[in-house]
Amino acid sequence: MAINNKHDHKKEINLRRKKILIVDDFLNFRLTLKNMIHSLGVLYLDDARNGEDAIRKMAARKYDVILCDYNLGEGKSGQQVLEEGKYRGYINYSSIFIMVTAENSFEMIMSAAEYQPDDYLIKPFAKEILEKKIKDLIERKEELKAIDTALSAENYSEAVQLCDDMIKKSPRNLAEVLKLKGEILLKKGAYKEAAEFYNKMVLMGNVSWVMIGRGRTALMMGQYSKAKDIFEGIIEKNDKIMSAYDYLTETLLKMNDHQAAQEVMMNAVSISPRAILRQKNLGDIAYRNEDYSIAENAYKATVAQGKYSCFKSPSDYTNLAKTLVQLDSPEEGLDVLADARQVFPEDREAKLHVSLTESYVYKKMDMNDNAARAMNEAQRILENSGGKIPSNLKLELARTYLINGEKEKGEEIIRHIIRENHDSNATLDNVRMVFRETGMVDQGRKIIEDVKDEIFSLNNAGVKLAQDGKLSEAIAYFEKAVLQLPENKIINANTAQVLMLFMKENGIDEQLLTDVKVYLDRVRKADENFKDLPMLLAMYNELIPERL
Amino acid sequence: MTDKMNFSDILASTLHDTKNSLGILFYNLEDIIAGCRGQECPSCIEFYKLQYEIKRLNNSLIRLLSLYKAEKSQLAVNIDYHSIRDILEDVSIQHEALLNAKGIAIEIDCDSALFWALDRNLIAGVLDNIINNCFRYTKEKVKISSYTEDGYLVMRVEDDGPGYPSSMLFNEKNNPQFKKGIDFQTGGTGLGIYFSVMASSMHVNNGKRGFISITNGGALNGGVFSIYIP
Repeated sequence: MAINNKHDHKKEINLRRKKILIVDDFLNFRLTLKNMIHSLGVLYLDDARNGEDAIRKMAARKYDVILCDYNLGEGKSGQQVLEEGKYRGYINYSSIFIMVTAENSFEMIMSAAEYQPDDYLIKPFAKEILEKKIKDLIERKEELKAIDTALSAENYSEAVQLCDDMIKKSPRNLAEVLKLKGEILLKKGAYKEAAEFYNKMVLMGNVSWVMIGRGRTALMMGQYSKAKDIFEGIIEKNDKIMSAYDYLTETLLKMNDHQAAQEVMMNAVSISPRAILRQKNLGDIAYRNEDYSIAENAYKATVAQGKYSCFKSPSDYTNLAKTLVQLDSPEEGLDVLADARQVFPEDREAKLHVSLTESYVYKKMDMNDNAARAMNEAQRILENSGGKIPSNLKLELARTYLINGEKEKGEEIIRHIIRENHDSNATLDNVRMVFRETGMVDQGRKIIEDVKDEIFSLNNAGVKLAQDGKLSEAIAYFEKAVLQLPENKIINANTAQVLMLFMKENGIDEQLLTDVKVYLDRVRKADENFKDLPMLLAMYNELIPERL
Repeated sequence: MTDKMNFSDILASTLHDTKNSLGILFYNLEDIIAGCRGQECPSCIEFYKLQYEIKRLNNSLIRLLSLYKAEKSQLAVNIDYHSIRDILEDVSIQHEALLNAKGIAIEIDCDSALFWALDRNLIAGVLDNIINNCFRYTKEKVKISSYTEDGYLVMRVEDDGPGYPSSMLFNEKNNPQFKKGIDFQTGGTGLGIYFSVMASSMHVNNGKRGFISITNGGALNGGVFSIYIP
């Protein structure tokens, strides 16, 4: 066995030309860290005294390495700096983000995987360890560059092959490569391979990402009770693995167990309250469950945590306002909406959103004139922006029309929403909520049924053509249908399927293959865990020529 | 009247504060050492001694905070696959300058293809503490090694010092009653062992639990500390 203390493989990495940013609220730490980094030969070095300053600097310049303290005092936290940097694209694949913490903190495993730093350093650390970490990370990123390139080109087979080649050499970052391989298999839709891969990995120990990967594979394959067992098992073993709660909730919603889903999210936020997206999710679920006091707490937490977060959105405020209406505090709801105007002063979409909700709140207070004024304001904003309704605001607009007596306009929008989403339980639940809020429960039920029937028969007619062997007619039929309903998951899935059946019989056509890809991407975007997606992706993977 | 604060919370927040001050102290000293290192400064070794004490204090505080969190069920285990050699190198680099200044060499013996599932920070914390102690007790050489044995990963720190006093020797496997025997009167040592036991036993796999052992002898005929991870 080799006895060797030196790390000769990194000798050639030179830090001279690297741009480095230090973020720490203590002047003393910044100075020391600057000395330390200068002594490593680095020429370009900036520092920021808080999160806001860091984001400003990152916007102006692309840094190779960012060393950021987790606890930055008042303002953005280190985690929020990382999230915003990634969200705004200031931190990309090749940049290195190292989180500096004062201690072994359990927040480390709480953030979602996509918002985890490249590494952690625990204070105080010696200069030598800093140098090793940075050089290790640079080397790791360079080694993974080829995989990243294949991934950006969506060349999944090649990416998997590259992972396998690396795994054989058992590099230092073996865990990272294995993790990546699992992710790529899921992205590729190779669910059987993914299941085999994770099952084999589980034998090596209780690694959380392996267990999560197993659960996700089951969820994506539509094996909901298996997925539920896996995620519950993870939480039982280690109740701090927060992503297990998120996936368990998703699974329970798929199983239509909204009450259990709410309970899981409530447990999650009690363990880790500082997670804005999870609070938002809890608010939504509780609101649909008509558990308004839970929704109120969750939305209030969302608004509070949004203060320094890039994930804040006008809907945090409008959701809270709607919840307060249900709790008979509409005045407080109006205050919340006034806050929203302050927080998003220049945002046209936010103004539209707030006006729409204001109109609803005023109407609930029987202040009809104010309600009409707010609706007119919303309409003015809409006209000024070319009449195009942002898709997340369609339902909001419909609610406002319905409650202000403009039934036809409101129903038309709602019908359109159902047509595009007749298969989505979450959307239909939201539609039902609007009917409840506007006192149209019975009418609403009939509208939902009618439109669902309309889409069912539209879809079935096309499926029948395909089953009767009239493939060309089926293609023409679905291509027309998908033009009218470009967001409908089932129509997109079936269009893709008939095209693939056609190519199976008549050979590959590059243009058709590109079309199929577009339809499948829409399906995936609508519902990553759609039950037919594995079958469709398997068909697609069989058709595409290996591009190595 | 304000609500009465929980004493352990006060303690934890004070520890945090103290830890920050220690960090600043550590770095200031690091600057001073960087300035006098190449100049055959006679005070250099004294500065290193200071740094050793600061690290000792810092390790104690980390342990206390971890134990506090474990008590409040806020301590989470974060298991992932790691290159064991990489972990040993990290630990070695952290202490190299300090140990070398006193003429102590540090040596790693570990296959670079050795990987294991464990909580890196917890285990590195345990090793950090043991190796920092070598500054005081080791003569010329300390060896950190790792290998697998009966389904366990063994990480071992051996030195050529006088060895552990007999009151500290134990092996959880041979002597399951050992916990009762830990002598907290010995100050930091007892707490250090308690933390090592906790960190190792937080690793559970295939129905097996991690443990530690402290013996004398070994390759360098001194103290031998081993941690076993299933």
